[in-house]
Amino acid sequence: MGKVSEKSSAVLLEKIKESLDRLNEKMEVFIEIQKQGRKQDFVMQDLPEALDVMTLLSLPDHLRKTAVTICKLGHATAEEVAEQTKRARAVESGYLNQLVLMSYLKKERKGRKAYFFVEK
Amino acid sequence: MGRIIAVHSYKGGTGKSLLTVNIAAAYANRGKKVCVLDLDFRAPSLQSIFRQESSEYWLNDYLNGACEINKVLIDYTPQCKCDGTMFVGLANPATEALRDMSAKDRKWEMRALGRLLSLKNTLLNDMELDYLLFDTSPGLQYSSINAIVSADVVLVVSTIDASDIAGTRRMTHELYDLFEKKTGILMNKVPIEFLSSDAEREGAYRRFESMHTLPVLMVIPCFCDVLRAGGSKIFVRDERGHPFARCVEEIAAKVEKF
Repeated sequence: MGKVSEKSSAVLLEKIKESLDRLNEKMEVFIEIQKQGRKQDFVMQDLPEALDVMTLLSLPDHLRKTAVTICKLGHATAEEVAEQTKRARAVESGYLNQLVLMSYLKKERKGRKAYFFVEK
Repeated sequence: MGRIIAVHSYKGGTGKSLLTVNIAAAYANRGKKVCVLDLDFRAPSLQSIFRQESSEYWLNDYLNGACEINKVLIDYTPQCKCDGTMFVGLANPATEALRDMSAKDRKWEMRALGRLLSLKNTLLNDMELDYLLFDTSPGLQYSSINAIVSADVVLVVSTIDASDIAGTRRMTHELYDLFEKKTGILMNKVPIEFLSSDAEREGAYRRFESMHTLPVLMVIPCFCDVLRAGGSKIFVRDERGHPFARCVEEIAAKVEKF
């Protein structure tokens, strides 16, 4: 009986953690939208067709570093990008979400992890 | 792990291709496993230097996703007469191929960048190459910027031409710095009177370094023999004692520690 209860507590804690992660991620997107203006503003712009080298050159330095790293890794989490750039995971998460909002990157969830990638 | 070296320049005719091939041959002489790829799709030249006018697959096919890189590579070790191993990947010199490559869109260039970046895994990790050298198109072309983004080290070949120096400086600030690349300058075809004594030579290095605001790895004199050979000779292989070959050996040694 005690083991079952322990197991269900662990499952519950896991679910809470997962919800917190999602919430955290939504907050990061929300902060980016506030920083950069409303999401609609991005949609109104001419959407970029591709994250090619000329686009990379036109990005601000902090976003270029993140974008080049994603090009190298192919498919990566904010943590994996942060390992390469030696910047904090939260910082990279913010930049990656900003690149998603700018339509340069795509994002997909696999379990608890969010993966960022360039759509080919 | 091995390193990727992109050899680039602002203007054409600086001697980029000849230097790329000779630096690769210098590493092969040192027993290294090297590969040279011709990424100058607008004016391919390595097929002439290596005297290999035909190939079943070209680098164009690899970037188009039509084949894997191992199909493109030609084992040049027997002709190289070296202790190491040397592979070559050629660009298609046919007019139709040049036209096709100049009409690619941004999506294609983005995928090409992905294919170039993946060479780090296939050639450096899986094939265990020590050096992969890219011969690039001059100036700000898609193919050359793709090569620079994929490289660990960029060697920029410049002449003493004022427009070449000004263009190289611009590229330093607007290209190499933006991608945080380790970059070194090779001053080529420098008149011999600039280097007639040790003091003159030291002065030339200082002058070129202050012009480029980058380390100058080598100041290579203008050799009539090199011009006379018309790009048909690999000096590091064919004339190891020639001063040009010695300059290249010195560049290879400096880049190893760079």
